[in-house]
Amino acid sequence: MKKTGFLYDERYQLHTTGNYHPEAPDRLSRVYEGIKQAGLLPKLVLINASRADMKWIEMVHDREYIQRFEAACRSGVNMFDSPDNQMCPETYETALLAVGGILDVVRQVMDGTLDNAFCAVRPPGHHAEANKAMGFCYFNNIAIAARYMQKEWPIQRVGIVDFDVHHGNGTQHIFEGDPTVFYYSIHQHPSFAYPGTGREFESGKDFGHGYTKNSPVLPGQGDEEYKRLMKKDLFPAFDEFKPQAILVSTGFDAHRDDEMSDIKLSTEGFSWIMQKIVELADRHSDGKIISILEGGYSLRRLPELAANHVEILLK
Amino acid sequence: MFVSRSMTRRVITVDQAISIFEAQELMAKNDIRHLPVVDKNQRLIGIVTDRDIRSALPYSFYKDSSSTEENEKLSALKVNDVMTENPISISPTSTIQDALLMIQDSKVGALPVVDDSGFLTGIISVRDLLRAFINVLGIGEPGTLLCILVEEKVGQLKKIVDAVTEENISFGSVLVARYWDRDKRAVFIYLLTLNVVHVKEKLQDLGFELLDPMKWYLDQLPQNESPFES
Repeated sequence: MKKTGFLYDERYQLHTTGNYHPEAPDRLSRVYEGIKQAGLLPKLVLINASRADMKWIEMVHDREYIQRFEAACRSGVNMFDSPDNQMCPETYETALLAVGGILDVVRQVMDGTLDNAFCAVRPPGHHAEANKAMGFCYFNNIAIAARYMQKEWPIQRVGIVDFDVHHGNGTQHIFEGDPTVFYYSIHQHPSFAYPGTGREFESGKDFGHGYTKNSPVLPGQGDEEYKRLMKKDLFPAFDEFKPQAILVSTGFDAHRDDEMSDIKLSTEGFSWIMQKIVELADRHSDGKIISILEGGYSLRRLPELAANHVEILLK
Repeated sequence: MFVSRSMTRRVITVDQAISIFEAQELMAKNDIRHLPVVDKNQRLIGIVTDRDIRSALPYSFYKDSSSTEENEKLSALKVNDVMTENPISISPTSTIQDALLMIQDSKVGALPVVDDSGFLTGIISVRDLLRAFINVLGIGEPGTLLCILVEEKVGQLKKIVDAVTEENISFGSVLVARYWDRDKRAVFIYLLTLNVVHVKEKLQDLGFELLDPMKWYLDQLPQNESPFES
């Protein structure tokens, strides 16, 4: 059995979005409950939130943006950059706690204390751009984790797999010119779903050309199409790139019961995806996986999806 | 929506007396495929495309097997030997819609823009129209596309706009298209949000049918009918 970390903290529920928003604090209690009910908690190494050092956030986000976010939050307004991004006075601190907890996890995985980990954080991050909040996201958690890893350890190649049903525009844009971070995303086709990027022809820029790969999935598709696309687009790419660590943007919103998309993945489909990512990590990165929660809004399905996810990491 | 706002103003032109190879090089260097041909007063007299030039060159030229004599003959070819004289042009005060229909009808890749006095003022190409169309669709901004099937009667769009507005969502674009069923219209709303859960529910509660995105296409038309039938 692997040593699997579980980043969870009730303070991640302090970021509230009003009582009419899908990205609600309840999502995390459902994730926690699911893992607990499955009897997995005693097998996991529980990690609590900690506040991130600003210098790591500044490796991804403009200082001006960070200050603007903090100021907006303090001023008491209830949205930032778009009505999608509902917030409360605790949002900024919660976002810092999310990043800080993740960096802690990265450290423990890199120094071998943990084999892998699941970070159940809010707010999510993959839509956040260097200078703009988007799609419920403020700080790009996974991008900061990748930069931190590269700065503190001798890691030349980081692989990111993003299976949230929406394309991670922020993550793609942050790394599109960088050949040391391979960004792979599978998501609902951008002509039908937010944010309208992640088309097949987007494959990186300048030196980073060939280190971004997108698999758009048409509405109504499910397990078979995901399997086909990941076999075609992800596995050969990572077998060639040989990532030394794998970061995962874990979104559960492609589930057939999730109202946020028209993709019809089954619960078993999610398990297949995660199992394959674990196999990639076993082949190339000594099993190092850090999975970070993004979307997933079906309160009914989140418990089982989170429990299965963690169980696969533990195996 | 006027041609003058979407056309390329700094248009590269040629004199009819230059060689076709010079014209070809000019197009390659500037990554363009059309060169308006003007007289010394900037009046349009023709247009030459990269295809006109390629068609003027024999196969042996590409195979590198043409004789010196042949090559000399080709070098003597001038733009006015291959250009289209008096090409179809469009006025700067014509609309984008005019340009779209003219280009579709005439099967050209670009239209020189000529003012009332016959002076060339720009060129509008398929590329310029694409840019305008991308802007109209609003797809340069992040959002989600919904397709709603509505009865063909007055006031439907208002209900949709009201529902979206109540959800505090901005519109990227709204398109109303014909549907194969003549009594219905397909309304495509591009919403600048990730959060479409509540608005979808609301629209369904109002009795609208949300179409399966795989069941429609933007250029769907009533059955047995095609556009511009002559």
